[in-house]
Amino acid sequence: MSQETGRVQLPTPRAHLTSDRTRATLAVQSKFLTGAREFLVGEGFQELLPPTIGPVTDPGARGAKQVDIDYYGHRYKLMTSGILYKQASLLSFDKIFHVAPNVRLEPLETAVTHRHLVEFHQLDVEIGEGSREDALDIAERLTKYVVEYVLVHAQTELAVLGRDLEAFKQILAGPYGRRSHADVVADLQGRGHAQEAGAEVDWEGEEIISRAAAHPFFITDYPKGSRGFYDKESTTEPGVLRNFDLIFPGGFGEMMSGSERESDYRNLVMRIRETGENPAKYDWYLTLAREGLPSSAGFGLGVERFTRFLCGLDAAWQASGYPKLPGDPRP
Amino acid sequence: MTDLHAPGFPRQQVAERARHGTAMAFPDADGYGTTMFGQQPTEPDAPLDAIDRTRLVPPVFVPRRLERLIDLGREPVVGDAELATTIGGFNSPLPVYVSAFGSTRVASGDLGQAVARQAGRLGIPMIIGENIVPVAGYGRMAQTAPSSLLQRITEYAAAVPEGQGGVVVQQSTEDADAEVWNLVYSDPAVQPLLESGRLAFELKVGQGAKPGLGGMTLVPREKATALSAQYDLMDVFGADSDAVLRCSSPGTFTDEILRHQIRLMRNNYPRARVWVKLPPARDVGEAAAVAWAAGADAVGVDGAEGGTGWAPRAFLGHVGLPLAECLDRVDPQDHCLLVTGRIWEGARATKCLALGARAVGLGRAALAAVDEDPHSGLVNLVECLALEMRMLLSSLGKYEISELSREDLWSEERHKR
Repeated sequence: MSQETGRVQLPTPRAHLTSDRTRATLAVQSKFLTGAREFLVGEGFQELLPPTIGPVTDPGARGAKQVDIDYYGHRYKLMTSGILYKQASLLSFDKIFHVAPNVRLEPLETAVTHRHLVEFHQLDVEIGEGSREDALDIAERLTKYVVEYVLVHAQTELAVLGRDLEAFKQILAGPYGRRSHADVVADLQGRGHAQEAGAEVDWEGEEIISRAAAHPFFITDYPKGSRGFYDKESTTEPGVLRNFDLIFPGGFGEMMSGSERESDYRNLVMRIRETGENPAKYDWYLTLAREGLPSSAGFGLGVERFTRFLCGLDAAWQASGYPKLPGDPRP
Repeated sequence: MTDLHAPGFPRQQVAERARHGTAMAFPDADGYGTTMFGQQPTEPDAPLDAIDRTRLVPPVFVPRRLERLIDLGREPVVGDAELATTIGGFNSPLPVYVSAFGSTRVASGDLGQAVARQAGRLGIPMIIGENIVPVAGYGRMAQTAPSSLLQRITEYAAAVPEGQGGVVVQQSTEDADAEVWNLVYSDPAVQPLLESGRLAFELKVGQGAKPGLGGMTLVPREKATALSAQYDLMDVFGADSDAVLRCSSPGTFTDEILRHQIRLMRNNYPRARVWVKLPPARDVGEAAAVAWAAGADAVGVDGAEGGTGWAPRAFLGHVGLPLAECLDRVDPQDHCLLVTGRIWEGARATKCLALGARAVGLGRAALAAVDEDPHSGLVNLVECLALEMRMLLSSLGKYEISELSREDLWSEERHKR
């Protein structure tokens, strides 16, 4: 049995789980998480277990449908990302991380991007009282640490996968670049790609700039209206968000999204309205904000996407034991 | 016939058109040659507004007819008047679309599906109203529920000619809890429309019948508990009544909020068109300008004459701008302005276009037409309206619907100003 998802042909569950490449990939993924935990704990972060359901979840996912569950007669959601809970957890600890499962019923068109999975995991990091600079610093050192860790501890698996280690040198070679969203938009438009200025970099545009890059770089300063309400707006440049994405070279694209967070009650209510939603839905979260939430910055690193890079895989689904592509009913 | 009522609306005339189509564009053929026809007396229960009092005024000198004559090599006739246009990014054979009905009971059940089928046959865009999902449930979970969102989309898509029309799914502030747009955007049943560029999402900022208030519908008392978490329920008819009034929030908007909601729609649903529906508010012109600047493909304005929903008496007669005033306050320039408000025949529709609208929406008229004839009532009504528009357009010496302008109109009030 093989199954068709758009143009993507997935192996049967047995063929996938017994393949040497899958085995090597999942072993690299495990080592990546071991290395990441080692780094983050060393930096003073507390690992917490993430909630998987709640009355609301992150609404910031582009066009993705949330999964509703009947929670004793209340509409609850599976987590699309634990961002709101990360902010809340800073009431207990100053620096936290989760390895969090997320579910997003992504639009069908994303089945062929090589990057989208319906069920995936994020290494979710949040820094209480942190700035975007703090988050960028941790993001860069974390990803470099993991690359070095995997180089040392997963040589056998990388050999099975035939991973070209030159790609790792690109990561470790120097500091990650910084480009503003406006600069990336101009670049894409200059290359003949119809990237809209007020919007998130589209899937195709992301791949184009990733292929053109020699080293990792951060995209900063997305316009308001392209991201969730919890990304903080600049106080000096209205309409510009204090956020970022990390783009890896070689067509691997976005590895993580992060931002300074909005934690002010009044600003949050206004931003929620700007995303078209009824603030009543976020009652528990807004109550915490009204009582006071710490300012923070953080990010979510896509576990399957980063594994894809580490292993040099064609697509993110290969980094999951039970891959689920949009529209494809699989275990 | 169902128990659909529409006070103040020329129900009888709409029903006749639904039954007899283009024949109703003319007086009874039996009287031809024997009866004298002058100005018809005004319908006793039809209130006149400034648009009704405005007249279309054909000229003697018709340079555009000359151009058309040269093109055709013969004198142009009524049938040469071209009504095809684009409405909010969709191709439509005429400047007419079906506007939303809300969750009023009359829009549930077979009527909603009959409207979808016939709008599809006509190839005109159709808006599916708010509250369909939170109240009636969504198709994938409840495909058998009458008039579900999925069923209406499916009926429409099966009937619509290739390259024409489109489906517009409305969402208001409270519907956002049910994530209507996300549900639709990722649903396999909608993919053919999405791939052919015929899906739009409409942000409902307000409505005609009760500007400043949210939607209001009567719900059976036994359903009230289930809705109480989501809506404000008012027990205005007393504990003995089976009916409870369900009220939605109108949502809170500033120019910044509207701008960013539209930008977020474009960001999140790049393959869907973005429509915005505004109430007949005093700042409707400013709000429309913000919506277009933020990238809306169409802005719809409901005149205070419109609305199928339940509205308080104080609002029905006293609140909101008349459609004519809305048209005066909105400057569409090259953008797509859509209007609704007691439109059911060709003259009012043509005047609205001359006043700046790109197309007109049929609300109550569409429902009343399918109620009269579930198989082809809407088709008949629209064919009659289209014939009238062709006659009026050609009488003005114009043959493209986009050529209508204020020069084609005269009104005593405006003349005196």
